Amino acid sequence: MQAGTGILRRAGALLATLALGLLAVAGPSHAQLRLDITQGVRDAVPIAVVPFGGQAEGAATGVAQVIGDDLRLSGRVAPLERQDMVAQPTSGAEIRFQDWRLLKSDFIVVGRVEPDGAGSAVAFELFNVQTGQSLLAQRLPVGSRGLRATSHRIADMIFERLTGIPGAFSTRIAYVTAEGRPPSQRYRLVVADADGFNPRTVTESTEPIMSPAWSPDGESLAYVSFENKVSAIYLQRLASGERRRVSARAGINGAPAFSPDGRKLAITLSRDGNLDIYTLDLGTQTLTRVTSDDAIDTEPEWSKDGRSLYFTSDRAGNAQVYQVALDEARQAQRVTFTNGYNARPRLSPDGNELALVTLDRGGYRIAVLDLKTRNLRVLTNARQDESPSFAPNGATVIYATKDRARGALAMVSSDGRFQQRLSSDRGDVREPVWSPFPGR
Amino acid sequence: MGSAGLHLLLLVVVAGAALRWTSTQPPVQLAIEGVVVDAKDLPKSARAGKPVPPPRTAPPPEIPKPRLEPQPEPVPPKPDVQAAQEAKAAERAAEARAAREEEAAEQQRKAAEAERRRVADEAARKKAAAAAADARRKTDEQEKAAREAKLRSEREAELQRQLAAEEEAAAVARSGVVDEYRALLIQAIERNWIRPPSARAGLECTLYVTQATGGTVIDVKLGTCNGDQAVRESIANAVYRASPLPAPRDPRAFERRLQIVFKPTE
Repeated sequence: MQAGTGILRRAGALLATLALGLLAVAGPSHAQLRLDITQGVRDAVPIAVVPFGGQAEGAATGVAQVIGDDLRLSGRVAPLERQDMVAQPTSGAEIRFQDWRLLKSDFIVVGRVEPDGAGSAVAFELFNVQTGQSLLAQRLPVGSRGLRATSHRIADMIFERLTGIPGAFSTRIAYVTAEGRPPSQRYRLVVADADGFNPRTVTESTEPIMSPAWSPDGESLAYVSFENKVSAIYLQRLASGERRRVSARAGINGAPAFSPDGRKLAITLSRDGNLDIYTLDLGTQTLTRVTSDDAIDTEPEWSKDGRSLYFTSDRAGNAQVYQVALDEARQAQRVTFTNGYNARPRLSPDGNELALVTLDRGGYRIAVLDLKTRNLRVLTNARQDESPSFAPNGATVIYATKDRARGALAMVSSDGRFQQRLSSDRGDVREPVWSPFPGR
Repeated sequence: MGSAGLHLLLLVVVAGAALRWTSTQPPVQLAIEGVVVDAKDLPKSARAGKPVPPPRTAPPPEIPKPRLEPQPEPVPPKPDVQAAQEAKAAERAAEARAAREEEAAEQQRKAAEAERRRVADEAARKKAAAAAADARRKTDEQEKAAREAKLRSEREAELQRQLAAEEEAAAVARSGVVDEYRALLIQAIERNWIRPPSARAGLECTLYVTQATGGTVIDVKLGTCNGDQAVRESIANAVYRASPLPAPRDPRAFERRLQIVFKPTE
């Protein structure tokens, strides 16, 4: 009994020692408060893009302007207005970070245009204003495409560093313009920088041009032209201007879309009575019928794996988006169920979403459909929006809208938070399509 | 049936072998018996210390006895001189043998004695070593006990301090001031967190933040984080942007060190 108590007492002492030891290990020597942050704001990241220094002052100032405009256009980065800048440092050593902190700029970009052999180069550096840390420092020689192209490349790098999304400011857009009134109309297929600068006419006609589509390598455009009074599909290389007619069948030849490997076009033909979807092998000229419904099937778009097509059909009485597998069965499945009108599907670069036109509260608006959850997110709020097309980084959707009865281009961030019009100096602008990243 | 027959056969064979063995063994056994008799003449001293040879298995006793007749008669001592000389020589030989055996025994005894001493010495050495080790252990144990006692008292003191601090903290917490302070801080940071698109559900990043008494953020350290560069930049900046951080209603709720976990729900 005596011994038993002793053992018990000793065991108790041991336990106490252990418990104390555990406390000493687990218990923080200093208390700290734990906070769980589950939300943030969708604000644009504030940045100061200070006018660049350098030999040709005008041109150098332009660099910061182009970078700032690009970032502003994305909707995800908010450059500080130039008149609010308290200083204009052109190198990291000149930055007084506390000044920029007071201006609530989280980041700052400074740089210079310098002579580089026979040409020039742009050196820039991105800093975190809060920490003073340098995040990015590069020196880019100005190439044959000029200071503007170099500025877009710098904007791409800054955008990616701040948002985690590759910038698409160095890519291009294609669109169709129409000027004049019948009978003296002028249609043009135009390719411009993503910010609308440097427009270049690819082809023009007195008859309508429609439905431009980029090849996956970004080197060619397919489009529909009525230049011979009837519709035909053409393929044109941008660098050489060389083009060929790939489909001029009886009836309508429309809505070309390149397969992901660039070897086929999905097109719409009415040769068998009503509009149906076909695929056309560009190498062999083999035409394969995909749909054969009595309804109108049009506006095909390839899935990311190239094994099925999304398209618009009114087989259910009103326009909805369907998906059809390119196998033997070719069974079409309806994809959209929200709203009474959904058309013109365009796939996001990651293949997970479709941008489309939806009839929402009395207006035709741009929406994004999540293909997994089937959630439809309406991005715009005008009455006549059409022809959505994703930027190759998926961050922005470009589309056509009406600006005082004239067709104009607009962009909306894919989260719907930020919209911006691209002003057009003349005529109607329609059917914008964003190019893929170059060299892919 | 077959097995039973086999067993029976085996039994018969074994029985037969036993019978044959009992009838043929005796002659061999006799010769051995003679040698043993001779060895009995050896002096007792020579036998001392020697292990008694293990008794041989006695032959079945009933059979050999009747055939003992052929054994030669022991030679009777001879009365003549030759016999006397022979006897003397035999006696000397016996003495020499006895001496040799005595010497061998002595050596053996000495060896045994040496071995005993060696064993005893060994035991003594071991005992001494054990005693020394024991003493050392006892000292160690005492020191250890002293150390532990000191450590324990330190820990107890620390525990007391912690308990007191926790008591205080608990009192503050009970009043809801800490929850309120936490809510203020969360609100300030959430308002300043510009979430990059890559900050989606599944993201979890921890910051360890130190603030000065006035709420000015003086240090931000990134703990574990599964986000990209843009996310890391954005969360640290959220804290800096929120600086100076709000003060609690009750100054006792102020905490210099904050652990901030960014874990977006969607």
